[in-house]
Amino acid sequence: MRDLSTPPEGSASASAQIENETRSPLIALIGPPNSGKTTLFNRLTGLRQKVANYPGVTVEKYVGQVQCDLERTVELVDLPGIHGFSARTLDERVTRDALEGRLEDLRAPDAVVLIVDCTRLESQLMLVEPVLKLELPTLLVLNMWDELEERGGNLDHMELAHLLGVKVVKTNARVGLGVDQVKDFLSGVEIRHRGLPPPVRVLNNVPRGVPLPMIDAFTARRRRVDKVVDRASFVQPGPARSTERLDAVFLHRIWGPLVFLAVVVVVFQSIFTWAVPLMDGVELLITSSGEWLASRLSDGWFRSLLIDGVWAGVGSVVVFLPQILVLFLFLGILEDSGYMARAAVIADRVMYRVGLQGRAFLPLLSGYACAIPAILAARTVEDERDRLATIFITPFMTCSARLPVYALLIAAFIPDRRLLGPLMSYRAAVLLGLYGLGIMAAVVTAFLLKRTLLRAEPGSFVMDLPPYRLPSARSIGLRLLDRSKIFLKRAGRVIFAVAIVLWMLTQFPRLDTGPPPIEDSALGRIGQVIEPAIEPLGFDWRIGVGLVTSLAAREVIVGTLGTIYGVEGATDDSITLQETLRRDLTLPAAIGLLVFFAFALQCMSTVAVMRRETGGWKWPILQFSYMLFLAYSGAFIAVRLF
Amino acid sequence: MGLTGPQSMSGLPKEELGGELRLGDIPLSQTVELVRIDLPPERAEPLLERGVLPGCRICPVRSSPAGDPIISVDGSLLALRRETANCLCVRLLSDFSQESQ
Ligand SMILES: Nc1nc2c(ncn2[C@@H]2O[C@H](COP(=O)(O)OP(=O)(O)O)[C@@H](O)[C@H]2O)c(=O)[nH]1
Ligand SMILES: [Mg+2]
Repeated sequence: MRDLSTPPEGSASASAQIENETRSPLIALIGPPNSGKTTLFNRLTGLRQKVANYPGVTVEKYVGQVQCDLERTVELVDLPGIHGFSARTLDERVTRDALEGRLEDLRAPDAVVLIVDCTRLESQLMLVEPVLKLELPTLLVLNMWDELEERGGNLDHMELAHLLGVKVVKTNARVGLGVDQVKDFLSGVEIRHRGLPPPVRVLNNVPRGVPLPMIDAFTARRRRVDKVVDRASFVQPGPARSTERLDAVFLHRIWGPLVFLAVVVVVFQSIFTWAVPLMDGVELLITSSGEWLASRLSDGWFRSLLIDGVWAGVGSVVVFLPQILVLFLFLGILEDSGYMARAAVIADRVMYRVGLQGRAFLPLLSGYACAIPAILAARTVEDERDRLATIFITPFMTCSARLPVYALLIAAFIPDRRLLGPLMSYRAAVLLGLYGLGIMAAVVTAFLLKRTLLRAEPGSFVMDLPPYRLPSARSIGLRLLDRSKIFLKRAGRVIFAVAIVLWMLTQFPRLDTGPPPIEDSALGRIGQVIEPAIEPLGFDWRIGVGLVTSLAAREVIVGTLGTIYGVEGATDDSITLQETLRRDLTLPAAIGLLVFFAFALQCMSTVAVMRRETGGWKWPILQFSYMLFLAYSGAFIAVRLF
Repeated sequence: MGLTGPQSMSGLPKEELGGELRLGDIPLSQTVELVRIDLPPERAEPLLERGVLPGCRICPVRSSPAGDPIISVDGSLLALRRETANCLCVRLLSDFSQESQ
């Protein structure tokens, strides 16, 4: 260890030194998408990783500890996949900022591991030159070595190391070959520049001060890469035969779209039918544990706060965990197998007509479970305008938080009669209509956006089609674990706070005998204040209260209505709540309320994510007002139509 | 497959005066060399980063159900829109012209 190289300059630098002594070296793992970064990261860190968000933008940051030997650990950060450093996309921006040490939450890295897919070495090595400019200790990982050999390719990796002047390791991250050598490199990394701020270097695709037009700069860089690759006797592997055979089906003129539809149907089926038993199980667990807890506590405000406020509030969100996990299981399989890229190609023409691109398909599909992960997934949409348009319309997808509301109102107001023979009942038709309404609103909105605020020439859609691979249970399992953590954290924070505030509003102003009747409580008064505004829709103050509380999360309205009507433990299939609702709400108003929920952005978490993803309040405010306007006018029209 | 020699040329549109061959006009399995990208730099960049650079070899291997080209470049498979493909000027690689320049 280097020591005492900087003279103490007062307490600030002294404390910086202490900090430096305790921290371990940080190594950035970068590479193009699909080169195996995450697989290698998981190999190296196991479960010693944590996910956090970068401040400013919600790019998930994966930092993990690597145990090099008994007394030495280093930290590894898995950065978003990039093709270059032009920072055209959010992912590229984050990776560049992280390497330059400009992310608030992440110190500048002490070394870089650049991982590439060695079956297509030339284009992947385009990243080498800018990375070497960082002048950090660098390891080049030639991943997918197994595929290179299998398909008849070859490379003198020692010569490549010599020519580039960096250490080179060949790996098969999937089974863990070569990972020990990567660890050797990591264990040799030292913390640099102790006591001094890390130098900020500017990464660029185009060398600065060189007056070459961009294309020429790229071509020149590529020539240098080609020369190196040639001298390292690189033999391009042959095409992957299995991929060709599968593409002949999945991208077939007729089979392609059919398989695509089948996949969409299966994903939907999985969210809406297969996840239901799991959700029921979780719900049962929450209610029974709540009851158990309630029986242990003495009657009083604390029990009321804990059980009616926190337990019920957080529970109402946690029930969605199984559904989100099932969705991510399917999406994970589709993504890791390589099919998702094909689906994007098939969806592209339809999306293009609306003004979007094929990459928007994945986020929009995720939107049927929950808008929040969907908005995050839209980061893969390369064009910034397309990404904004995509996340703007995502909340129109019927997310699962709307389902309890739909279920309650449909069960209460729509007769259970056949519509088209045995296949379709009135109830199913209404539900389907609500889904259709969302899609229609999304299409029209995207169309309008791309012709007004986000007008642009159609971008050049370029989509990488990775070879088909068997998804690994390990990586999908780890991802599901992440998802659960992120989701529960959110439920724990946002919903927890909201549940407490709501509960308080029902408790005050307190009477001598206990909490006030609901219409005199602060919550009831809020409802009465907004009543004039929603009267034209046929809603009274009770629904008004529900609309306010459902701003936290849509499904909260069910519990709120239960509280207001004094129905204990109300759920969407509670008969008493349905009967009470029928007394208070007309059929047209109920349809109006359904339409309202189809359009309105009743979800503060979505607004918060939008703010982070767009870097400001402009888009979330616009989106919220626009959706509220649609919801209000939609309900207004619906009430008069029926 | 099997498109080699002079026969392969007959299926291709003639290079008109001033007009050039575009990637969108190339039949499947015919390898060509990229000559120029007729796109503004910002829109060309995603292509450049993925190895679609002047001088590179491109082979359309398949078309998507909607008729958009899927090309192979440097061992990567890329899907393009036909609008993009029509902005890529290419040159045929006949067996004898490989040592051009
Ligand atoms: N055959 C093979 N497949 C690999 C290897 N490394 C990763 N993969 C697979 O490549 C796919 C993409 O890997 P991933 O780690 O998600 O790439 P990332 O996008 O860079 O994070 C996954 O399906 C992996 O299982 C390897 O060395 N050999
Ligand atoms: Mg990854």
